Amino acid sequence: MSLGKEFTKGIIRENPLFRLTLGLCPSLAVTTSVENGLGMGAAFSAVLLASNITIALLRKIIPDSIRIPSFIVIIATFVTLIEMIMHAFAPDLFKSLGIYIPLIVVNCVILGRAEAFASKNSLMPSIMDGLGMGLGFTLALVIISAFREILGAGTFYGIPLFGASANPALIMILPPGGFITMGIILALMNKFQHDAK
Amino acid sequence: MRKELKLGLFLLIVAGLAGLAIGYVNDITSPIIAEQIKQNKIDSFAEVYPGAEEVKDESSQYVKEEDGIVTEVNVAYKAGAPCGVIYTVEPSGYSGVVRTLVAFDIATQKITGIKVLNQTETPGLGANSEESWFADRFKDKTATQPLEVVKQEPVGDNQILAITSATITSKAVTEGVNTARQHYVDNFVQQ
Repeated sequence: MSLGKEFTKGIIRENPLFRLTLGLCPSLAVTTSVENGLGMGAAFSAVLLASNITIALLRKIIPDSIRIPSFIVIIATFVTLIEMIMHAFAPDLFKSLGIYIPLIVVNCVILGRAEAFASKNSLMPSIMDGLGMGLGFTLALVIISAFREILGAGTFYGIPLFGASANPALIMILPPGGFITMGIILALMNKFQHDAK
Repeated sequence: MRKELKLGLFLLIVAGLAGLAIGYVNDITSPIIAEQIKQNKIDSFAEVYPGAEEVKDESSQYVKEEDGIVTEVNVAYKAGAPCGVIYTVEPSGYSGVVRTLVAFDIATQKITGIKVLNQTETPGLGANSEESWFADRFKDKTATQPLEVVKQEPVGDNQILAITSATITSKAVTEGVNTARQHYVDNFVQQ
């Protein structure tokens, strides 16, 4: 497969959230506003890229029988680093994402890509895979959070859309709204894929 | 046996390197983070009690165990004399502690402002307690009278209009303010 394809596959065909349905728990938790969705996506992509690079470089050194604990240590290290850097240099973002950042450690997309891709491929394809999957995940988060923020809070990226008299459907930014949104999007994606066949 | 030792050693090296990296970045970021937390505190103090020349943490002198949800007492000074008191209270809301600052002015015996610092209430409902329009409902209330939460337009001076669909959170914040108020009356008002 070409490098370009490794990049684009994560965006639609193997979108981690919509097609592989990995990492649902942190995704549904943070997508109450577009700002949070973007922030989580950016932090996630940075960790994924860093872990893919490290694991692709170390793939011949890491013994097979303890690869999973090694991956987890590597991923957890990058998450901790990002958490500290974000706290120091982007305090507002840190405040809204705070408790979700450590969740990136257990985000199965990252471990999934390490296991399924980076540990079997060389550096360049792994970078492309990390970038594509990161972008795909971020896009998915932004789509879900735009849907929820517009319907649930009547705003987009914090900008009011409907004027003061509008009464938004609050349920959309509460946890049930996350599941409803996810269900609708997955159903639409399946329909389009089915029609295309 | 040799194989297990080798694997263990490998993990030890991986974890050691990870520890080194985290330690290095922590050295760089921790002073910035500490400075930020300090600055945030000063900013929030200025928000609830504007115009103080100096704010001193006097919790050790004023906070006693039986005070319950009062966690910090900071005294604001102007020209060397105490002019206001800023409380940190932690009442329990709908889904957790609602940490709130409450400030009183000693000269007028009124609340100069409150500010919800952090909370885990429902987004869109109780989380609105952080908004300034809710905090403004407590502004200039007198310290000598207990506050009360109402659901209709307040008629009395000591009544606070609840946030729509978030009565529990509104009551929690008011309970925090009342506790601070009582503590203030007991400790800072000469009878």
